[in-house]
Amino acid sequence: MKQNKTKIIGVILLILLIILSVLSAKFGAVKISNQEIWNGFLHLFSGTAPSALNERIFIQIRLPRVIMGVFVGAALAVGGVLMQALFRNPIVEPGLVGTSSGAAFGAALYFVLGATFGLQLGEWILPLAACLGGILSTALVFYLSQSKKNNKTAVISILLTGIAINALFLSGVGFLSYIARDPQARSITFWNLGTLSGAYWEGLYFVISITVLCILLSLRFSKQLNALMLGEQEAKMLGVEIRQLKIKVLLVNVIMVAVATAFVGVIGFVGLIVPHLLRMLNGSDNRFLIWSGAILGALVLTASDLIARLLLAPAELPIGIVTSMIGVPVFIFLLRRTNYFF
Amino acid sequence: MKNYIYILFPLILMSCGRFSNADEKQNSDERIVCISKQYAEIIYALGAEKDIVAVDLSSTYPEKIKSLPTIGYHRALSAETVLAMKPSLILHDNNIGPEHVVRQIEALKIPIKTFHKYESTIAGTDSLIREMGEYFGKEKQADDLCKKLNRDMELALEEAQKYTEKPKVLIVHFGRATNAYLVMTQKSNAAKMLEWAGGEMAVNAERGMKQLSPEVVAAADPDIILLTDFGYDRLDGGNEIEKLPGISSTKAFKNNHIFRIEEHDLVYLGPRTGENVLLIQQLIHPDETK
Amino acid sequence: MVELNNISYSIKGKHLTNGVSANFEKGMIHLILGPNGAGKSTLIKLISGEHHPNAGSIKIEEQNLQDIPLKTHAKFRAVLSQNLALSFPLSVKEVVMMGRYPHFEGKATTLDDEICVKAMQLFDIHEMQNRNYLSLSGGEKQRVQFARVFAQIWQAVPGKSRLLLLDEPLTFLDIYYQYDLMKKIRDFMVVNADLTIIGVVHDLNIAAKYADTILLMDDAKLVKHGANQEVLTKENIYTVFKVEVENRFEVV
Repeated sequence: MKQNKTKIIGVILLILLIILSVLSAKFGAVKISNQEIWNGFLHLFSGTAPSALNERIFIQIRLPRVIMGVFVGAALAVGGVLMQALFRNPIVEPGLVGTSSGAAFGAALYFVLGATFGLQLGEWILPLAACLGGILSTALVFYLSQSKKNNKTAVISILLTGIAINALFLSGVGFLSYIARDPQARSITFWNLGTLSGAYWEGLYFVISITVLCILLSLRFSKQLNALMLGEQEAKMLGVEIRQLKIKVLLVNVIMVAVATAFVGVIGFVGLIVPHLLRMLNGSDNRFLIWSGAILGALVLTASDLIARLLLAPAELPIGIVTSMIGVPVFIFLLRRTNYFF
Repeated sequence: MKNYIYILFPLILMSCGRFSNADEKQNSDERIVCISKQYAEIIYALGAEKDIVAVDLSSTYPEKIKSLPTIGYHRALSAETVLAMKPSLILHDNNIGPEHVVRQIEALKIPIKTFHKYESTIAGTDSLIREMGEYFGKEKQADDLCKKLNRDMELALEEAQKYTEKPKVLIVHFGRATNAYLVMTQKSNAAKMLEWAGGEMAVNAERGMKQLSPEVVAAADPDIILLTDFGYDRLDGGNEIEKLPGISSTKAFKNNHIFRIEEHDLVYLGPRTGENVLLIQQLIHPDETK
Repeated sequence: MVELNNISYSIKGKHLTNGVSANFEKGMIHLILGPNGAGKSTLIKLISGEHHPNAGSIKIEEQNLQDIPLKTHAKFRAVLSQNLALSFPLSVKEVVMMGRYPHFEGKATTLDDEICVKAMQLFDIHEMQNRNYLSLSGGEKQRVQFARVFAQIWQAVPGKSRLLLLDEPLTFLDIYYQYDLMKKIRDFMVVNADLTIIGVVHDLNIAAKYADTILLMDDAKLVKHGANQEVLTKENIYTVFKVEVENRFEVV
């Protein structure tokens, strides 16, 4: 019975995601006809360059953007699931433990240093810099929040350290954009708000491979993360190597989130509300949360992007503003509920 | 320019109306999207606006330009927004962003044109107007504009000699953002126009614009404060200026020498620069011109 | 089965366990008694491997406790501890299934499912298997946890003897279930002869009725360890608990 419910939720989410992705591919500032979309696909699969402008717009701008939204949404939501399971706290998300701000700092450093020293940095340095920044900040939060006494990590101290480290890295970003020359400063600010508008195929391949790999790895941890819900000692008695698990999960999570962040900027709240909603639907078995989180995350971000593009069409809102506008009320609603039921 | 974000949102909100402007040139073959306020003003002055189908948000002169569709803030462009205008040509002055969007547009091989980069001087503006006149086949109009510009400038420089005082002027752009002033410095175009008008900038800095703390504003103690339109209007038409921290202790405030100025009269040089210098002259010498 | 050799454990110079030596025989119920703060829970945590003793050694079937890999150990040793902080919604079935985690990789097998069902039936929680654990009463939660630890050690492991550690397992249960549970544990042990149980309880009557051996502790030290009747004498109880007792309410 329970299994059926899980399957039904999965199928419904998947159908919704497909519908939204199609809508998202169809609608935008430029009106693209079905015929042009069809021709665009024909060119895409035959490997020929499309000739008509709208076909090229569809293939080079619209389609990568839609797919980018799907995978980044999945990465952010699964990142939220992992963080919440690891810290055994439902209000944790990558943004709260420093990952996002660290990634933002790494990217800002790339923008400023790259330009100041005129370094010929390759396309891949930005994601790498964001990754390193994310790892650095998350590791700092983790290290500083460990009490010296018995090597235990209290959730509250992680959250408080997270606030401090976030503030530190965001002021670092602020400082960098202050000393930056004009175009770099613009890139930093734009990046901080998050946007899918810059999606391009090469970057997309990278995001897809990292996201899929990391989600598959996460599924392997789901059992151990479930055990962790009972408490660290109880999980240990069920044969879980806590320290190892923490390091592995953090690493997978930071890489996944930082790479996504590197390409689209900082997008908040997806990692927070998606796991929440799913827990209310069907409990918190992490196996279920990881795969359904990936789908619902994709769904939420695709919907947000559609709103971002259509609300002021033909102009666009930064997507981070849309996710916050949707996420904050939902989050407050969730916080005010005293308990979970399903 | 980290503060463009503070500017961006009010702009978007204020300009919601402009986003819904109808595209009334659907059928013309030549469709130009102009992403430069300086170019836009010159194009209108040349009478070459026939093929302009959309402009960026900051292009606000002349008044009728506001009835054109807009593609948003020039530094936060989105490829599709620009392409939705079906441009046959995109004009910009290298002050557009973000980079990845510019790359996307370039990859689609939409014709993009930037006019020659001239010095920010009257001579440079003269050259730009002539180049654009040539490009649009309006050489005659360009010549007229240049002549008028030079005439106005001569007059303005002559007038400037008459003033005995050289007031210190603080130009605050777009009011404030979290109690910090975005002030124009001696590196900006506004500083040049001020110089021609016989005044001097109260604040120096490395870049064209800078966030300054209220303390520095108070210490600079300007004789005159000019507020650009948006900030001035937001302060209840200038009635709430004393609420800006740091302002109330300045000479300018005590003598009631705080004035409104249109942003587009101040931030770039163009065919009306001579007129604008004359306008500034009147503003910054309130006692002597009366 | 479990051999404690002069173990001591202290935090910040305060002894929580001080030079305890004891031998727990296989196939029996060993209950630890003592006043609050006597070090009973600490002793359980030392035997489970949660804490490491500062001095002395612990051997499980002749093997040093530290030398047993965590994953292997979890296959034949289960622990029910006092403070379980589950703050996420999970169904009862999922919580019980956690007991089977050490036994499978990836997806649960049909055997794991069967064992879960049997464990839930044993503790009368089978009907609530799809309910949210968080919505249960304290006593119901405790029975779910019992089902979980029993699922973990439901089957004998070749070459190993099973060990179940219980730290005040009866706290949230009313008196009917306290006796019911102890009886079930006893019955379970009849058919699972290799299982050893070491537990902490507060109730002297329960201890007197179900323990094979009793270990009395006071002030971090072992006072007495031996067969039930020999240890639970009026004199010993007075020494440790400072109360006079007589047999008045024995449940049958």
